Amino acid sequence: MRAGERSWGGWRQPAAIAVAVAFLLPFWYLASGSLREPGAPPPRAPELLPRPLSVESYDRAFELVDLGRYTLNSLAVAALTVPPAVLFASWAGFAIFLLTGRARAVLIGLSFAALMVPATALLVPRFAIFRALGLTDTWAPLVAPALLGLSPFYVLLFYWSFRRLPRELFEAARLEGMAPLAAWRRLAMPLVRPVTVAVGLLAFIASWGNFLDPLIYLFDSDLYTLPLGLRSLAVLDRTNYPILLAAAVVSTAPVVLVFAVAQRFFLHEDRGAGWLGR
Amino acid sequence: MTSLGVEGARKHFGGVQALDGVDLEARDGELLVVVGPSGCGKSTLLRCIAGLETLDEGTIRIAGRDVTRERPAARNVSMVFQSYALFPHFTVSENIGFGLVVREVRKSEVVSRVAASAELVGVSHLLARRPAELSGGERQRVALARALVRDPDAFLLDEPLSNLDAGMRTEMRTELRRLHRRVGATMLYVTHDQVEAMTLGDRIAVLDAGKVRQVGEPDDLYRRPNDRFVAEFLGSPRMNFLEPDRAAAFLRVPDGTILGIRPEHVRLDGDADGATTRVELVELAGSDAYVHLDAGLVARVPADERPHEGAEVQLRISAGDAHLFDRATGARLPWT
Repeated sequence: MRAGERSWGGWRQPAAIAVAVAFLLPFWYLASGSLREPGAPPPRAPELLPRPLSVESYDRAFELVDLGRYTLNSLAVAALTVPPAVLFASWAGFAIFLLTGRARAVLIGLSFAALMVPATALLVPRFAIFRALGLTDTWAPLVAPALLGLSPFYVLLFYWSFRRLPRELFEAARLEGMAPLAAWRRLAMPLVRPVTVAVGLLAFIASWGNFLDPLIYLFDSDLYTLPLGLRSLAVLDRTNYPILLAAAVVSTAPVVLVFAVAQRFFLHEDRGAGWLGR
Repeated sequence: MTSLGVEGARKHFGGVQALDGVDLEARDGELLVVVGPSGCGKSTLLRCIAGLETLDEGTIRIAGRDVTRERPAARNVSMVFQSYALFPHFTVSENIGFGLVVREVRKSEVVSRVAASAELVGVSHLLARRPAELSGGERQRVALARALVRDPDAFLLDEPLSNLDAGMRTEMRTELRRLHRRVGATMLYVTHDQVEAMTLGDRIAVLDAGKVRQVGEPDDLYRRPNDRFVAEFLGSPRMNFLEPDRAAAFLRVPDGTILGIRPEHVRLDGDADGATTRVELVELAGSDAYVHLDAGLVARVPADERPHEGAEVQLRISAGDAHLFDRATGARLPWT
């Protein structure tokens, strides 16, 4: 081991702890603040746990707005968004990988160009299209981008992952007569499982935290997603921090839970099974 | 009978002419080795035959069929890649049976053919393992088993031994030769290693800059190379070349030619009529020694007969061992 590596090894743990603390502090503030009594002002100094400890803010948050429905709506929208986003992003990435020469360069260039376009720049034309199609006040405008892979970044992420696989694997499959779609399913996807999980997670977070699209396209409060519910709560009781923080905890918990479940796929790279099914 | 034939094959990539009118035939059951330096077009040739690249011009025939425009799977060839191309998430068994499963062969037949193929290359005890759990040599055997299992019209092998260490390469070379004798299939084997080519091939095709320089039996190519490139490429240490003025000390060589002499034909036998030269360097290579001489030649002598460095030796070359090449074209010339 070289000297540089040794010194980095020594610093790695404290550095990791410092980064973890920096990220966890806001979460701690969120959780402890949500356990204050409704109407209580924010603490003047950081506190480990509020006194008295109360879960009443959660009850009040659910009374003021229909957080349960909004959570279910958000889950439904995410469930409709994430699988097609992963499917189409991986198809597009695989198609770019299979192409050669100029066609591939053009598609990669287009993906980068699309990545540079701010989403807000497309708000008006997108709204006009969905209104013309009669799809406003439905979840369709929220889910539709998933049919394009949700983001060019996800497409590029899959392309970069497939590019790291030996091309001979796919040439061997071609020689045996395996169709591209079968090669995608049987060979490519099992070998990029961590990336698939990462894209799924990113797509879930993007869908879960999407505030702008529901705000523009949804008018019926029965269709509202959680970010709109949080916004309603802020309008109803603007200064009641414990209630706002309780609702924020409700909105954050599923993301943490999904990440906790997904992270084992990053850490344990199970390569899946072949035709014997083992 | 021709099992695999290429006629007038041309292929370019951008401004590079990878294949420049290649004509080649592998006879039924023959192991034909295509050998040449890096970038000579040998892998491109193999990929074109497999259908992984399309020819700009020319025809490819496999088992009597024109397959030039056929898709890879319809050509009925098996290919062993340099990197083995084993699927890392499949077991050895699944890797070997892959082609059969894709072709929807009955599972019971797949299992029996996988077992037979694995037996043939000696990997029966590894069937449940994954490629990551195998050594380089074992992976090589699995790749061969995968190629064998389908009983194709021809086998294409793209430098299959180049990722192995020297010892394993020698062992696998012998096994490949043995395997070829046993299955009697037509094999086209691409390598840049002339030792591999000489020891494995029934015949050898030497490729240079997208052109076939010479095709023939290893012994013919070694003893009667058609041109200077073939003469220089085959043999280790490589053939010595002498301009007429420097060759004059040993033989009379016409102007406009170059004399070629294999290191084993440079005699250091102390003949009083020979030219005197000094030993510059001696390299020991097992049973042989390579003696570098001041005269600009390398001699190969038995190790226990090697002179010591700095010694004066008598050097002799007989015309019967020497080759004559045209200086401008490199073509072989007859002794006059």
